[in-house]
Amino acid sequence: MSEADFEQLVDRQYAPLFRFAVSLSKSEADAADLTQQTFFLWASKGDQLRDRSKAKSWLFTTLYREFLGKRRHEVRFPKVELEDVREEEMSILPNVNALDSETVLQALREVEEPFRAPLTLFYLEQFSYQEIADMLEVPIGTVMSRLSRGKTLLRQRLLTKEEALGNKVVSFPSERSGESHG
Amino acid sequence: MDNQEAKFILSAYRPGGQDASDPRFAEALEQARRDPVLERWFSESIAFDAAMTEKLGAIAVPNDLRESILAGVKVSRPLRWMKPFVARAIAAALLFAAIAGSLILREMKKPRLAGWQTQALGTISSLVDGRSSFDAQSHSASQLVNWLQTNQAPVASRLPTNLETLESLGCKTFLWNQELISVICFRRPDGGLIHLVITKASAAPDRVLKGEPQLVQHGEWATATWRKGDMIYMLALEGSRDQLATYL
Repeated sequence: MSEADFEQLVDRQYAPLFRFAVSLSKSEADAADLTQQTFFLWASKGDQLRDRSKAKSWLFTTLYREFLGKRRHEVRFPKVELEDVREEEMSILPNVNALDSETVLQALREVEEPFRAPLTLFYLEQFSYQEIADMLEVPIGTVMSRLSRGKTLLRQRLLTKEEALGNKVVSFPSERSGESHG
Repeated sequence: MDNQEAKFILSAYRPGGQDASDPRFAEALEQARRDPVLERWFSESIAFDAAMTEKLGAIAVPNDLRESILAGVKVSRPLRWMKPFVARAIAAALLFAAIAGSLILREMKKPRLAGWQTQALGTISSLVDGRSSFDAQSHSASQLVNWLQTNQAPVASRLPTNLETLESLGCKTFLWNQELISVICFRRPDGGLIHLVITKASAAPDRVLKGEPQLVQHGEWATATWRKGDMIYMLALEGSRDQLATYL
């Protein structure tokens, strides 16, 4: 890959990659590190990728693997038991538009990592469930499950943020009260 | 299909509508068209997802990140992007060797840094520039060595003699090809910094390293790499090989 092509790739992907990294990492510095490391790896291994149209997927997959690799060495990282997460039907939805990006990011970071990674890929780059399954190397049923439960967890975190900020919680229209959701 | 199952599937439906023709969603979408409660849930879910997409897309990116990536990768560019050139140069050198003898071949054999070494220099640069932080900080190198040992990171059984008297600043670990690599940073008496990089020999299986330090000047960086037992050490500073040699 020529220098100009590489620069174009950086220009197209560094911001979304950083945003993905920042949702996974504990700090902006760690996220910048992860993003930089991903491009280092591209510079040294990217020429092995025959189908250049898959560069974007390669970068996101590599960043996620690097994140997992680093995490293995962080003894303090809390273990998450997927079975412990309860999915509850939400009768109210957070008003995301009333929150700033930083608050939304904080809420996302509070969602446990197994749910956070697919959520971020889904929202940030609108990757399909199949693409997310390929990147995270999990079955598509697991991706759907994590998206479904992850959204519930995210909404809970956003509502908590909203309450803490004193924003009014937006509920479903009154004519819907009493209706079941399922 | 009940509404619960439909919601489960529709949670993976992208707000931009890219999945409209995906057969996996067909039944759930049909269910949403038939059931007004599910339809309302779905439209609100899509609105929520669209708002999330917008908010996450607005997360600020550090101003200097792009330049850092390009500058950082430039450090390793001669190793990879010069590859076709090196291959051609080798071919030409072989042809030329018949005429010009062994001089060119000797030039081609000049030692160069491996990927993990350029990555280590990138990590050190980011520490020096303040773009990343130490995993542990201490002015006592022995405390840093203990920290690395506790965290199963590669570490010297004994620091090189000329580093023992220097004040340490901190240490950091990073991964290269699934191998953990440690960096310990020291302050030199002249105010500059010197860095010791430690990894297992398995991180560099293709490198033939001996006990004698191999000195390589890489841009602004002077490096010395040697093997001791099953560990590989690299000492690096921004300066000349002569400056570095005083610490070997």
